[in-house]
Amino acid sequence: MANDITGDLGKILSEKVDAIKSGRNAYATGRVHMVREYVIEADGLEGAAYFERVQVGDDSEGYVDAIGRNTVLINLTHVGKKIHVGDKVVAMGKQFCARYSPDAVGHIVDMFGTEKMLGRTMANRADIPIESEPIPIMARKGVTRPLLTGISGIDMLYPIGRGQRQLIIGDKKTGKTQIALDTIVNQKEQDVLCIYAAIGKTKKEVKDIYAQLLKYGAMVYTIIIAAFNDDPAPVLRSTPYAALSIARTYMEQGRDVLVVIDDLKRHADICREIALLMDKTPGRDAYPPDIFYSHSRMLELGCQHINGGSITILPICETKGGDITDFISTNIISITDGQIVLSAKNFEKGQKPAVNYGLSVSRLGGAVQNPELKKAGPPLRRELLAYLEQREVFELTNIDEMGEAMRRRMRRGAAILEMLKQRKFSVRSEADMLAGARDVDRGGEGSGEGGGL
Amino acid sequence: MALDAITENTAAAGARIGKIISVSSLKVDIFLESTDIGLRDLIRTGAGDGGVRFEIAEVSGLTASAVCLGMTNGLKRGMDVYRSGGGLDMPYNDNILGHVFSPYGESIDGAPPPGGAVRNIYERSLAMDEIVIDGDILWTGIKVLDFFAPMRKGFKMGLLGGAGVGKTVLIKELIHNVYRGLQSNSVFAGIGERSREGRDLYDEMTEAGLFDKISMVFGQMGDNAMSRSRAGYAGLTLAEYLRDEKRQDVLLFIDNIYRMVQANAEIATELARMPVENGYSPALLTEISEVEERINSTENGSITSFQAIFIPADDLNDGAVHAISQHLDGQVVLDRGVAEKGIYPAINVFATTSRIIDPEILGERHFSLVEAALACFSRYDELEQIVAVLGIDELSQEDHDIFFRARKLRSYFSQPMFVAEQYTGIPGKLVRIEDVLDDVEAILSGRLDDVDEQDFTYIGAYLKERS
Repeated sequence: MANDITGDLGKILSEKVDAIKSGRNAYATGRVHMVREYVIEADGLEGAAYFERVQVGDDSEGYVDAIGRNTVLINLTHVGKKIHVGDKVVAMGKQFCARYSPDAVGHIVDMFGTEKMLGRTMANRADIPIESEPIPIMARKGVTRPLLTGISGIDMLYPIGRGQRQLIIGDKKTGKTQIALDTIVNQKEQDVLCIYAAIGKTKKEVKDIYAQLLKYGAMVYTIIIAAFNDDPAPVLRSTPYAALSIARTYMEQGRDVLVVIDDLKRHADICREIALLMDKTPGRDAYPPDIFYSHSRMLELGCQHINGGSITILPICETKGGDITDFISTNIISITDGQIVLSAKNFEKGQKPAVNYGLSVSRLGGAVQNPELKKAGPPLRRELLAYLEQREVFELTNIDEMGEAMRRRMRRGAAILEMLKQRKFSVRSEADMLAGARDVDRGGEGSGEGGGL
Repeated sequence: MALDAITENTAAAGARIGKIISVSSLKVDIFLESTDIGLRDLIRTGAGDGGVRFEIAEVSGLTASAVCLGMTNGLKRGMDVYRSGGGLDMPYNDNILGHVFSPYGESIDGAPPPGGAVRNIYERSLAMDEIVIDGDILWTGIKVLDFFAPMRKGFKMGLLGGAGVGKTVLIKELIHNVYRGLQSNSVFAGIGERSREGRDLYDEMTEAGLFDKISMVFGQMGDNAMSRSRAGYAGLTLAEYLRDEKRQDVLLFIDNIYRMVQANAEIATELARMPVENGYSPALLTEISEVEERINSTENGSITSFQAIFIPADDLNDGAVHAISQHLDGQVVLDRGVAEKGIYPAINVFATTSRIIDPEILGERHFSLVEAALACFSRYDELEQIVAVLGIDELSQEDHDIFFRARKLRSYFSQPMFVAEQYTGIPGKLVRIEDVLDDVEAILSGRLDDVDEQDFTYIGAYLKERS
């Protein structure tokens, strides 16, 4: 087993031998002591550094995730042959890194720079750190430039700016991913690099997303970084950080980048799984107590950089039973700059996109809208919200018995809601949106009979 | 960082104290060469200024556990660690105003290091005889706050809310109204919140020319647990300088104090301490009291604080929220149900209260109007369910009146806010309490029954603006 030493491993070993000869270093090798799924405990490895890359046995790889007084805990990111107690563990002398090739644009890759459709590693791969220091407050500036999704209900009412983090949250099958895909399609010729990070999706789903983006000509400026359902959990955990690290290098060159993370609920569950397997004390709902920080430091990379570049993040979070007040959802809502809430009930009623306009929020609002949308948006939103509330309270009241002012409001509200309906992949320009709003105005002004109902 | 004021451990700074024997993402264990080191002392890898810094959290015989101020990536067993001074300090001099600091006392606004005297962030605590409890009433110009939860100088007002219901907007509006109004020196402590908001606040203050009277500390949500845990102590140290040395009335804005408790939970887990419910640190109550008991007024000056409090999972009974709210003189509770209706500030009037809702302090009229308004809202909640089932026509005349007056009152308590103009498109308004009382009285008495409820949304005073 250990006789067959080639490549990287051989090189590192000879470096180590040299190091020992010159009296600088001790052996950074050890032996597997315990195997628990993808968590390995190893003896020895005296000189191993925190987060150092290690090789386990002949062909498994991982990184150091805790250094104890006598042993080291390793998370495996690649599992080759079966691992036995006593197998050799070698510290590789460098940090665990992602690998990225600029040629990945237009492809589905994993965090190690492997093209997944062809199963080949890409040329020009270079190491890229998975995480680095946070972006300082003074390296940021205000988010003011719009990033248009092409969806009226978002661009007019809950707008997104370049550098904003806007959560898309809702139950299964309410169109969360679709909003992200529409947004990516709408970036055509906008000079925005798009990164779609698939976390724990099935291979089939990712292939389908690739096919759709290809069909609408969006793969030209898009990278799909995928960690599939059956990849080792430590890879699923690290992939969104790697995706943002890639985005950060582009941003630091002054580029605008859009990152979709699909989805963070699954990511939270993966973090929980790893923490529990590593015997960490569980907190609320058995998530590790640093689960907020796991997401906050990731999403804080979204910003408008002072150099002109930006990272816009659309994280996706799946809920159960329409409850956006569970622990993970409220954590993420409290990090992002707003949320688009999707409701299964609206979806069933055919109101698509199935946005719950009452619960959705944009914390940046008009600051990121062009002047015309900024003027048209707020009154529309106020009218719509008042209508939705009144519709609920006065559900049983005969419309003819309402006061004139209220009747007019009910009609206009219904017309606004109708105007916001939009099919998938039918992105609208700002001019189209404004024209829609004007149609509502014309309908509502008439004799009281209009409104297009 | 200035080292000149560090007291007893100065001599030993730079001396080797031991070796690392274990590493995790936030903590190292150290085999000590001597026992001459205590809790909250600072140590570092690297003898000079470089290396990673840690604060000692536990000592047991010849081993110590220390929590990292940065990242532990690349640290190894066997690395030497050195003493790095007595503990975390903040600048304690006139250079603090108009500057932004990290919780470790470093200047982070690009300005040169502040220099001058420094003070340990844990040092100050107040004796009972120092504390002064009286103060003048402090109007905020926000209708719903002044009406249901009036403040006075020296108060601790909590702004509680789940995610995304408007805590930060409200804190910023208070900065706008109260800080600009009083022009008194202020401290802003950003704890575990968005860096973008920190940057925006800095820009807004600078543009408005108001930055020379405020000092800021940020340990934001992208920063590690130590930074978030200590930002509150650091902010307090700045506020205490203004109170004790400059003898001023100080406004202290904390956004968000819950994040400190959350960061302490992360640290406690790394130290392998047994958690209490929901994973919080076993010392939850002790830790929060240590900070809150320092926020008080003395003969020197007052500290009036506004503290945003995040409610995790919309759970008002959360242990941490409860621990913090024990210390408050008043609280404003924000509600998702109200926000959903588009009414901002989205206040739950039943849970919003203040220690001075008292006829002897506010006067009989204000007090009885608060009681009448609450009774009206309370009946409305019941009627809403009846209307949903039976329709509006089934209500008695009296209930019919209450139903529509409550809806008008609810609309009236929405308010255009200065800092929310970008969402509403309406410029902000300050409203005097006298006008609020007149309007509330008029709505409740039925004098405004003929006015459409929409005419009350996002306005300032009603009667005064129309007379």
